[in-house]
Amino acid sequence: MQAYAAKLIDVIESKATNISGQWADDVMTHKRTPSYHSLPKDMVINQGINFYMLFRRMSMAENPYEEAKTFSWQYAEDLYKKKIPLQEATYALMLLRRHLWLYAEFQGLFFTALEKQQAVESLNRTILLFDYVSYQVIEKYQELIIGSVERRLGAIKTLMMKGRMGSEGGTLKAALMTIFLLCACLLTYYSHVTLKTEILFTHLFYIPVIFASIWWGKKGIFTALFLGVLILTSHALFLTGIPFSGDIVRAGMLIVVGGVIGWLMEGIKKVEEMY
Amino acid sequence: MKAFTAKLVDLTQKNAETIARQWAKDVKTNEKTYTYHEESEEKIIRQAKYFYNNFQMMFFNESPYEQAKEVFEKYAEERYREGVPLHEALYALILMRRHMWLYAEFQSLFNVEVEHRQAVESLSRTILMFDYIMYVVTRQYWKLMKLECQAKENTR
Repeated sequence: MQAYAAKLIDVIESKATNISGQWADDVMTHKRTPSYHSLPKDMVINQGINFYMLFRRMSMAENPYEEAKTFSWQYAEDLYKKKIPLQEATYALMLLRRHLWLYAEFQGLFFTALEKQQAVESLNRTILLFDYVSYQVIEKYQELIIGSVERRLGAIKTLMMKGRMGSEGGTLKAALMTIFLLCACLLTYYSHVTLKTEILFTHLFYIPVIFASIWWGKKGIFTALFLGVLILTSHALFLTGIPFSGDIVRAGMLIVVGGVIGWLMEGIKKVEEMY
Repeated sequence: MKAFTAKLVDLTQKNAETIARQWAKDVKTNEKTYTYHEESEEKIIRQAKYFYNNFQMMFFNESPYEQAKEVFEKYAEERYREGVPLHEALYALILMRRHMWLYAEFQSLFNVEVEHRQAVESLSRTILMFDYIMYVVTRQYWKLMKLECQAKENTR
């Protein structure tokens, strides 16, 4: 197989710059690769040269699949950074293969009957190598997309206490929330009974409300409901004579904030599940 | 071109069931198509038969790219809904192409000298069709991923 393909590989290697130039002209004007149209031509040509140079290495390697990885990953990373959509990146690869073959045909590389047989072998070999590169590029692209989503969700995931703690995370969250709610009860009692005031301390209630919504999504609203009922009940019992309106607004705000954050978190969880 | 390449496509069409079964065996054990390992064999054979039957129509269509869009956007959507990652879906397609060709070789379809020329023509045409298919499938996956992301954003 390698002997047959050697002829094609020799041409590719010696004429890599020419073939890459032709490929660059095509890919930079092709309607299926619009993102390439604005890239610097030198950069595009270099990409082509790197690719064509890979061919000999892959053909000689005992494990061509492994040999292709360095190129494929770099190719995927470069294009991903330049925000080239995946379908364009793969179509550019297809054009690389097509130009290689066009060049060989144009040079009359496989003319006689025997050479036609070599052509079939070379074509098969070329396709196999391309298949490997395409697979690796697509796989890498997906990895990069997932990585980027992971990074964006990183801070939220930390707040959600996900990952390292596993099943212990659930118990810890429940324990922390119990402590938060106990503190809220004590604080309410102290403010309403001892200080006889309804203001300021309820701002601290947003901490458990926000955490509950982050951890449990829409179900987190029960914490807000509990705190809302706590404020109003305590007011009714200990702050007779002071109007209810202020505490009604505070309880309402807690429920609204808890509900909105819980709703947002459900969306984030779905995005996370998707990736 | 058509006369030369018809041989390969006709063979594939007539033996779609056999080729599909060989492909299914491969895809269910290949390390690059992990998601297919747990799928029922009959289900994935249906996938391959759908593919080979439509491939013939596309092959002889005057506008194969348009035909590819029509048929394989739906194919991509189905694989996407089944949760098959794009690289695996595309590798499964690559294996379909490979099995088509392996079957032709096994049947000694292009044996004598003149047939080697036909083989080159067939191979070139097949690759072109596959390039279209892979482009359409990748684009559709990309579109669906974006749509799903947007839908989640809106839910938020």
